[in-house]
Amino acid sequence: MTFSKRSLITLVILAIITTATYYFFARRGITYIWHWERIPEMLFYHGPKSADDPVVRLRMGILMIGFVLTLKISIASTFFGIIIGTVVGIARLSNEPMTKGLSLAYVEVIRNTPLLVQIYIIYFFVGSMLRLSAFAAGTAALSIFAGAYVAEIVRAGIQSIHKGQMEASRSLGMTYAQAMRYIILPQAFKRIIPPLAGQFISLIKDSSLVSVIALADLMFQGQQAVARTYHAFEIYFTVAFLYLVMTFTLSMATQYIEKRLAISD
Amino acid sequence: MIKARNIYKTFKTTDRREVKALVNFSTDIKKGEVVVIIGPSGSGKSTFLRCLNRLDEIDSGEIIIDGVNINDKKANINKIREEIGMVFQLFNLFPHKTVFENVALALIVVRKKSKEEALEIARGLLNKVGILEKENVYPAQLSGGQQQRVAIARALAMHPKIMMFDEATSALDPEMIGEVLEVMKTLAREGMTMVVVTHEMGFAREVSDRVVFMDEGQIVEEGTAEHFFTNPIHERTKLFLSQIL
Repeated sequence: MTFSKRSLITLVILAIITTATYYFFARRGITYIWHWERIPEMLFYHGPKSADDPVVRLRMGILMIGFVLTLKISIASTFFGIIIGTVVGIARLSNEPMTKGLSLAYVEVIRNTPLLVQIYIIYFFVGSMLRLSAFAAGTAALSIFAGAYVAEIVRAGIQSIHKGQMEASRSLGMTYAQAMRYIILPQAFKRIIPPLAGQFISLIKDSSLVSVIALADLMFQGQQAVARTYHAFEIYFTVAFLYLVMTFTLSMATQYIEKRLAISD
Repeated sequence: MIKARNIYKTFKTTDRREVKALVNFSTDIKKGEVVVIIGPSGSGKSTFLRCLNRLDEIDSGEIIIDGVNINDKKANINKIREEIGMVFQLFNLFPHKTVFENVALALIVVRKKSKEEALEIARGLLNKVGILEKENVYPAQLSGGQQQRVAIARALAMHPKIMMFDEATSALDPEMIGEVLEVMKTLAREGMTMVVVTHEMGFAREVSDRVVFMDEGQIVEEGTAEHFFTNPIHERTKLFLSQIL
């Protein structure tokens, strides 16, 4: 089945579910008055911001501001997550007991404690010691969290490359680092794109937890908007849709990259 | 050129049995000599090659290549490996690199040559192994014989003093063995020092200076190819030759 056919079917199914849900509530006689007309202004509006900033122009609404922050924190923690994960993934395969032990401890501690607790610890404890901003603390927590999962994916990827590749590289006089950089990691990364994509899609969604440290991300702004207007359904549907936009774009991007890298197969 | 003295090497298998791969193994290989190592599987032939460039570490003994004790802590193993080309049974080409990149990569990364210089050297070698027209394709698009010839060119790119072949034709379809052996024979005639683990007795007969028959980690018998094919002395050698010839 071609890609366009598949996505068309997906869209049709989504549309049917949405419509069905909508009419289900209407039939049940829930007296909920929909105010979808209030949503656009939460994305973009034309007007003054406040008394301090009375210039009339196109401005981002509350949800869009949250969207941008979620996007920023997701990109930053994906970036650092890959770096941490790659370093730790390689360290996991080290013959040196100290390196091996420390990297294993990191992976196990991070994977076996809740992200929410990690965010609190990093924000209130580490963050106040190092005077980190909420954004820095949130990014750090998400990067460290993602790094542990990425490390295991990277390790599996490296181990899946035939050992003859390392031997051939070393027999040519390359150092271990050179062999990793030019031979092993490029092949490993190509193989682990699907699980990595899954991990970073999770990361985008998990980033909603940073709203607990008053970081004004998409989730936080959504809650604020609901508190102010009581349009819970419309706003949370919109918030969900905005997360979907980010994760779906990432899915498409990785599919594209996968296709591009398939040329040497 | 290569001096191996009293080498012991033991492997532990996954079920914790000990397998003695090399037992008090000693040999000398002179510059320009072509040595063919034969023997049943598990006799330690490949292990000996792999110990020569330290893909495997010896347990005890001494290996001296070009006056350098390669197991010395101070020895720069990467420098030593640059001097020893190795060709593997399963080619081990880099699948994400083109033929040209496979040959040129170590020149650029290890020898720090410019891309132009590397291109020139790689072209020359690909021409030598008769595969220049494929320089921009990926290994997956080549036949086994072509891949192995690229692997030989890749090893030659570092301009090694010694070439090792670890059953270089064993994974090939029969009709492709010839093209790889042809390249190896050319190298031998040019005076390259070669250590060849193989089952190709034709190759041994035609170009080898010495044939070494190994069994259970030791040399059972060695001599010229002529000696092996006309009057081998040991029963074990006779049995082995009767099975493969």
